[in-house]
Amino acid sequence: MKLEGTHTFQAPQERVWDLLINPKNLEKALPGCEKLEEREPGQYDALLKIQIAAVKGTYKGKVQVADTEPPKRYRLIGEGSGSPGFVKGEAIIELSQQGQNTLVSYQGEVQVGGLMAGVGQRMLGGIAKMMLNQFFKNMEKELKSQA
Amino acid sequence: MSSQGKGKWVGKGLKRKEDLRLLAGRGNFMDDIRLPNMKHAAILRSPYPHAWIRGMETSEALIPGVRGILTGEDVAKMSKPFSVGVQVPPKYYSAAVDKVRFVGEPVAVVIADNRYIAEDALDLIEVDYEPLPVVMDIEEAIKPEAPILHDNIGSNIYSQRSFKYGDMEKAYKEADLVIKGKFDFPKYGSTPIETYAVIASYDPLTEDFVVYSNYQGPLVNHLLVAIALGIPENKMRWIVTKDIGGGFGTKTGMYPYIALITLAAKKTGMCVKWIEDRREHLLASATGTDRVTYLEASVKRDGTILGLKDKVLDNTGGYIRAPEPGCAYRSTGNHTGAYQIRHLDREVLIVGTNKCLTAPNRGYGCQELYFSLERMVDMIAAELGMDPAQVRFKNFIQPDQFPYTTATGGVYDAGDYPKAFQMALDKIEYKKMREEQHKAREEGRLIGIGFASIVDPSVTNMGYVTLAKTVEERQKEHPKSGSGESFIVEMGPLGKVHVIASTNPQGQGHDTVISQIVADELEIHPDDVTVSNVVDTHDRVVTISTGSYSSRFASVGTTALVIATRKVKEKILKIAAHLLEARAEDLEMKEGKIHVKGFPDKSIQVKHVAGTAHWNQSALPEGMDVGLYASTLYSMPTSKPPDELDRVDSSNTYGFITEAIVVEVDPETGEVKILKWASVHDAGTILNPTIVEGQIMGSCAHALGGSLYEEFAYDEYGQCLTASFQDYLVPTAMEVPKIDIEHLETPSPFTALGSKGAGEGSCMSGPAALGNAIADALAPLGVTINELPLGPNKIWKLIQESKRKESNGTIAQ
Repeated sequence: MKLEGTHTFQAPQERVWDLLINPKNLEKALPGCEKLEEREPGQYDALLKIQIAAVKGTYKGKVQVADTEPPKRYRLIGEGSGSPGFVKGEAIIELSQQGQNTLVSYQGEVQVGGLMAGVGQRMLGGIAKMMLNQFFKNMEKELKSQA
Repeated sequence: MSSQGKGKWVGKGLKRKEDLRLLAGRGNFMDDIRLPNMKHAAILRSPYPHAWIRGMETSEALIPGVRGILTGEDVAKMSKPFSVGVQVPPKYYSAAVDKVRFVGEPVAVVIADNRYIAEDALDLIEVDYEPLPVVMDIEEAIKPEAPILHDNIGSNIYSQRSFKYGDMEKAYKEADLVIKGKFDFPKYGSTPIETYAVIASYDPLTEDFVVYSNYQGPLVNHLLVAIALGIPENKMRWIVTKDIGGGFGTKTGMYPYIALITLAAKKTGMCVKWIEDRREHLLASATGTDRVTYLEASVKRDGTILGLKDKVLDNTGGYIRAPEPGCAYRSTGNHTGAYQIRHLDREVLIVGTNKCLTAPNRGYGCQELYFSLERMVDMIAAELGMDPAQVRFKNFIQPDQFPYTTATGGVYDAGDYPKAFQMALDKIEYKKMREEQHKAREEGRLIGIGFASIVDPSVTNMGYVTLAKTVEERQKEHPKSGSGESFIVEMGPLGKVHVIASTNPQGQGHDTVISQIVADELEIHPDDVTVSNVVDTHDRVVTISTGSYSSRFASVGTTALVIATRKVKEKILKIAAHLLEARAEDLEMKEGKIHVKGFPDKSIQVKHVAGTAHWNQSALPEGMDVGLYASTLYSMPTSKPPDELDRVDSSNTYGFITEAIVVEVDPETGEVKILKWASVHDAGTILNPTIVEGQIMGSCAHALGGSLYEEFAYDEYGQCLTASFQDYLVPTAMEVPKIDIEHLETPSPFTALGSKGAGEGSCMSGPAALGNAIADALAPLGVTINELPLGPNKIWKLIQESKRKESNGTIAQ
């Protein structure tokens, strides 16, 4: 499944970079994220609770922030497995200053396997979109609370 | 209409004696079985289509209530791979050992006090997978760069053979033209309402295994499991429940799960129950075999088909397991269909991909065959500017040619194909329909008419599967053949009859038909016949072909029953002759009495004879066994091993079916509406028309599913997308149109009552006829139909593509 889109933050690029790259914020903003613990710099152990259709379960996995080019670009790599099967994905996130605002664009691919793929595939696209919207909304909230 | 085999009861639409019990909720299915100290199993399945198993950690899963965990490693220690009749078999165990090869493949079993605990414990097993590249497409799988599933085979081809029947060179030489086509047949299956279920127990003191299941046969797989598990066959007792909620071939594929649960019982020393859930069933039980066919027909201008050359690629998924590669060979005897085609070249490749494994699926091999053959007949008609009905009439085997031996060794017992086909034409008012189609086309409406006229094989001759090996290879092995069925018929001291059967019904109403037949043979009422019909390898007389599959019952089953019943009758007459001091051949049995022909007063009641046989044993003729029992274990004499030219009578009776279907396709949405569906069947003598009608309706619905709705779909990563009924679309009553059913009855000379199998029926012909009808509807748009299922999305796409081609063409001009 390919994921692609943009989100505009009303803040300067440096601030948005700091916001997105901060694991504390990532933990709070990622829907279903129960835990995100730094194992070594840029590498995290994650616990994610997800429900799609009748399938509910916990993914245990790793999240990695790589190829960072502050404040422009980084790569987010994740993989996890658990009772609903497995997920793995990779995305490139790019930031660019647009006047007062920062445009965040993302481009990635996610693979879902096992139970979740077998019974929820038709809904996955919609749900991924919903989760991403939720993610950015949460980040906006975080941004405001810092202000 | 013939009356051969018919009697006072046979041929009547008696209500099924099974139904009252079932409708009242008194069935005896697998989940009704409760054994003492029974534990429950849940199976951990691979989420990966292709991956190494680098490690497995089960200690966390040993939560309270868990009694044991069986891993793939245990399975490898406790059993051998299943044997399968190909040259280099893959190492197929009941659970993955070091590598998984399809999503849903079992990797471990948790045995717990209840299913809830077992399921929870599954979540706590950690498996370390190392994912590998996948191959999902049949033709990609045989390319040299494809990822290899089995290192011991070295390619993804499980088996490969070529065949020559007749003289194809001659057919090419005599032909005016050669027409070619490529056809894709999808992976769809059966979805019996009762899923797989196994209860296995093991007694460590006696080393006896007892297995309950809803397995549909054949019992040859009892042997395969015993061999794989290293258990002497007589130490593993298989019992099949009285009631099975549907089989359709799918339940022949459950024996690996019987092995798995038996191993779970052995490892824990406990009685273990496993009921497959629907998701497991759709993901990893067994599906039909998807196939790519390349077909060439050499034809004359007048429509005569001289010869066929086909190359089929069957996909058996991550492994190959028995009875595969049967899909490619089951249709051997009837491979040229209903036509006088004497030349055939075949090439068969059995291919592996990272998909779920296969098993027979109602029609086994024939829906695949006829989709290509019957589509080809219509393509020939189009190419020659002939009416597709005319091409069929031109090539049909004629009624005076029976018994007809095909180029491939099939012996067609009886039939009148032109007559049955004409009946179907009349039913849809063919001429009028063509006129209406013409008018509709002028209005821009897309109406199409499609036929499939096919030979319906019943009663498998087990020997056919050995065709996967060459003549030389076969000569080194023991030949295989047979189609045996067993019955015991007993008349009690009061003259009532009890039949002990092991025909393994899954809803076909065998007990009703058994009662009808016995009632006619012994001149009693069907209500005076009781039937006990279960399979039990210890308490029943069974053989390796025992089971209900390949439409066996109406042919070999009824013949075996008649033989046993007539033995009882013969004995009754012998005792009566002794008591009446007459000759047995002078006696007549009628309405409960036996009298000397021409002397109605010199008589004795049947029940008196029965009473004497049981109660006054010294009054019997000297040397005669006491009581009134007779048994038979009968195989059709036509069931012989393949010969040195690879010819085999792969089935023992051959019926005929014509579908005539009229559809309308919505050019805007691609939706198919069925306007008319006539289904004419010749299954020989009809034993119970109500039951046959139900089977035909069911097979038409099943065909409709495979043609328009059902497909096990996978994404590019090898994930199965259809593991629930939300995505695996089985037609409901809303989608199934009115089916206009008609019978022709040409009795078989090979069966006792002239009857042939009818259970698979329209599953074989429906997909081809629907494909032809839709192709005919779309013909004005220049669309070719060579694949199924034809859902609106696919048809819409085909219409758009043809429009694009057309507009490109205009620009080019």
